[in-house]
Amino acid sequence: MATTLARIARKSLTTSTAFSLKRHFGTEAVAAAIASTKSITPSADRVKWDYRGQRKIIPLGQWLPKIAVDAYVAPNVVLAGQVTVYDGASVWNGAVLRGDLNKITVGFCSNVQERCVLHAAWNSPTGLPAETSIERYVTIGAYSLLRSCTIEPECIIGQHSILMEGSLVETHSILEAGSVVPPGRRIPTGELWAGNPAKFVRTLTHEETLEIPKLAVAINDLSKTYFTEFLPYSTVYLEVEKLKNKLGINV
Amino acid sequence: MRVKSKILSTTLIISCVLVSRHRTLMNIFDKAPVVDKDAFVAPGASVIGDVLVGRGSSIWYGCVLRGDVNSISVGSGTNIQDNSLVHVAKSNLSGKVLPTIIGDNVTIGHSAVVHGCTVEDEAFVGMGATLLDGVVVEKHAMVAAGALVKQNTRIPTGEVWGGNPARFLRKLTDEEIAFIAQSATNYSNLAQVHAAENAKPFDEIEFEKVLRKKFANKDEEYDSMLGVVRELPPELILPSNVLPDEHKAK
Repeated sequence: MATTLARIARKSLTTSTAFSLKRHFGTEAVAAAIASTKSITPSADRVKWDYRGQRKIIPLGQWLPKIAVDAYVAPNVVLAGQVTVYDGASVWNGAVLRGDLNKITVGFCSNVQERCVLHAAWNSPTGLPAETSIERYVTIGAYSLLRSCTIEPECIIGQHSILMEGSLVETHSILEAGSVVPPGRRIPTGELWAGNPAKFVRTLTHEETLEIPKLAVAINDLSKTYFTEFLPYSTVYLEVEKLKNKLGINV
Repeated sequence: MRVKSKILSTTLIISCVLVSRHRTLMNIFDKAPVVDKDAFVAPGASVIGDVLVGRGSSIWYGCVLRGDVNSISVGSGTNIQDNSLVHVAKSNLSGKVLPTIIGDNVTIGHSAVVHGCTVEDEAFVGMGATLLDGVVVEKHAMVAAGALVKQNTRIPTGEVWGGNPARFLRKLTDEEIAFIAQSATNYSNLAQVHAAENAKPFDEIEFEKVLRKKFANKDEEYDSMLGVVRELPPELILPSNVLPDEHKAK
């Protein structure tokens, strides 16, 4: 039943084209507003409201972001360009993974928490590849910014941290919240770094090192509950159909 | 919105509509955003209130430009990268309140917070930087990543300020100054690609999915062995000006 519904909806969408819907809901007298200062020429067609919202997966040319089947990617997230999210990984709300200049990979059982921005520069100052690669069991805390960095397996990146081009975080290391890692900085194995710019604090005990993958697994478990909340495909087209019927817009 | 709705009955009327109510350009009070037709505004971004965005500028994913209590004006060729916040103040401790003015060809990095500041042309605000009220970033100045620039600081031309609180770090070399302008251009071009992609209607998206599947395993060597030429369809080719020069670090 769902497939026939989908087929009908697709047919109706092709005939309607999204434009008619946008025009009904979107246009206001704003476009008529002055183009005086700095000669801004607003377009009358500028979409103010699109019921589709922001697309999650934005392919650019041939690059299509790939999400593993059991990875949880929140509906708020934007994956653009060359992004690969591997098994068991989770990307939480509001994150932006922009693989438009270079690759981004989120490894097995890693998590990129809320509102992170992962970007990759075209090339990096160190010899390391300029792609942003996050290996397995890495926890990237909320609101972090990662740019062309390599994060080796089993690390924790604290919240609101900034990792700049070419930085390398080696295995079993922890970056405290709010740390800023300058370009090309290497955080050695098994150490705790903090600060802006990031400085060495102490080495981690063996017990702490064992906790790191446990945190990643715990967040993976959490992401499973979120994962079960969502259907594989959006059902917004059903709502759109309802709206069209209610408001009498012809398809 | 993806919700596993347990009730799909038709007796549920439109009060429970689940379409996304997010409006990219939103009016508030009597103020409306005026955005140039060549500017890229990501669909998930929010441009609210009294905001002017000039031509060729780009507002990336997840940004919030809230011109609710005062005005924001963004020049041309400027890019405000992902997840940034540009807000204005209505009142602050010092008493005088300026609108936020961002000049032309400015790069504001990811997750920056720009609050009631003036950023002049061709300046560079690093990612994660927080610029508090009344800060003036002069032309060709750079705010390093993660910096916290206190209120009413003036960052002079050609200098790099960073740290928390922000202090003078070093002077910019001429190469770096030229690079700022270049990066703004690169971003402008990249924005056009994203703009085109985000504006695609449903049919085109589906068609390209099919095309991608078809050309996924294209191997030129194998094709040449067979004596066949398979060219990528134009929809799948990125414009060449998007990727910057090989030797310039972005």
